[in-house]
Order: sequence, then C-alpha cells, then structure tokens
Amino acid sequence: MDKTFDFEQVGKRMPYNVPDGFFDQLEQNVMAEITADNTATEKPKVKARTVKMTFRILLAAAAAVALFFVVTKNLPNDDTQADTFANVELAYNNLSNEDQEFLIEIYEEDVFMIENEEMDY
Amino acid sequence: MVNDKEIISVMRQNAEEGFQLLMASYKEPVYWHIRRLVVSHADAQDVAQETFVRIFRNFQQYNEANSFKAWIFRIATNEALRLLGKLKNSTMLSLDDVTADMLGTKADGHFDSSDAITMKLQQAILHLPAKQQLAFTLRYYDEMTYEEIAEVAGSTAASMKVSYNIAKEKIIAYMNNND
Repeated sequence: MDKTFDFEQVGKRMPYNVPDGFFDQLEQNVMAEITADNTATEKPKVKARTVKMTFRILLAAAAAVALFFVVTKNLPNDDTQADTFANVELAYNNLSNEDQEFLIEIYEEDVFMIENEEMDY
Repeated sequence: MVNDKEIISVMRQNAEEGFQLLMASYKEPVYWHIRRLVVSHADAQDVAQETFVRIFRNFQQYNEANSFKAWIFRIATNEALRLLGKLKNSTMLSLDDVTADMLGTKADGHFDSSDAITMKLQQAILHLPAKQQLAFTLRYYDEMTYEEIAEVAGSTAASMKVSYNIAKEKIIAYMNNND
C-alpha cells in the first residue's frame, strides 16, 4: 500500500519534555547570574577596592610608625643627627639581630609591593 | 505577548526590566530550539542559560536593521554548536548514527518514547546535515521567514529555502521508509 507521511500527523509535538517548573527556574537562574554580574562589575567592586586600599594604607602606616620608633630609638646620640641615609644605616646596624629581621620582614611584606590579581579590573 | 520592538525599547531604558520581557517571550522557544539540536535536557539547560546571559551582555551589539528574533536564535544556535563541538561522542552534526535508543539516552530521562511517530520525526531531523536541520526546524517549529533563517545561519534566504525543501523531502522519505 502506498503511503505518504503527513506532517499534520505530528504537528509540533516532540518526544522531549522538561521537569516541572523548569522554565521558571531557568529564568530565575539567568536573572540571578545577570544581577550578580551587574553587582560584581559596578559598585561593589569599587567598594571592595576601596576597602582593600584603606586596609593597605593602614598597614603601611602601621609599618612606618613601627619603623620610625625602632630607628629613632637607636639613632646615635650626637649633634649630627641629620636625616641622612648614613644615619639610618648606622641606626640599622645598631639594632639587634631580632630587630633587623623584624624590619626586613616588614619590607618584604610591604603591602604595596604585593602583586594582587584582584586589582586588575 | 510583548513584541520585539517593545522589548528592545524597554531594554534600552532599563536593561534588567527589558530583559525580563525578553525572557518571558523567548525562554521557551529558545530552549526548544537548543533542545532539538543538542537533544539532552541537561545540555540544553546549560546552553540556554549561557545563551540568555550572552544575549544580555551583548545586547548593545544588536543591530536594529536585523531581526531581533534571528539575532537571539543565532546566539542560541552558536552556543548549541559550540557545545556539540566539545562533545567528543556527539553525532548530532555527523547525523549518521542516530537511533531510537541513542535518542532516549541523550534525552537523559526527559523523553517520551511512547510517542513513536514524534520520536521517529526527531530521528529523521537528526539525520539531516546541519544546514538542512537548521532550515527545517526554524521554519517548521519556529515559523521563521527564510530571511530570518538566513540571518541565523549566516546564509542567504534562497539557499535556506532550498535547504528547507530538500530537508522536507528527506524527512518524508525517511518517515515512509523506516518502519
């Protein structure tokens, strides 16, 4: 018997289905991702950066204050107390090994010297 | 239902509000378009989500001289093809080894094998070369014009019309000969 397929038999039916509530969930997921995107690329990043910078500045300030006290405490007690590198070097040399290590440690961990990927926006 | 011009207009004023209108209009047709290409629900879900995020992010690149619907479907198609390209065992675009079992497996449970004729039609479609598959499904299911289909496929309307007619003939032959 001659037979010809007729698309009307099927119409737009398909053998596929989706879980209940799937399309609402899809929309929610997409909107959540977009909202997170916007949030992450606008104000919060600026805020996060500001907080990070403030923290760094505070750390640097603390390190500077610590350095000032340690160095001035050990400066030679004479009239040539000029702000020269020689004096600083001398003061450094007069420090105990522990204090010298402490200062080196501070410089090595200088927050402005640390590379941070998150800064590349 | 909101039309494309309204969606575009609202998106230009308030991106998220406009995008909600877009989602309301397109989430189902875009998902089903992707699903027909990738078969698996899980894959279609991932691709659909990525598609809509890309649509949102790239909205400024949309050229109003072209069809908005075609632009959206073009992104969806590209995302689906990207996924298929990644899947080592995908036969969707070589289209030679699609069987009922495989269709069921790829549909990962969200599949009704009891409707034999619809399953067979999908097999017939999946046997087509990619261009014909695209021409047929966009015309038959999504009722696009040949001009819109051409925008989706990056081809010409005349070429897509030929592809559609060849696809239709092949499907009829498949449906008649593969019992």
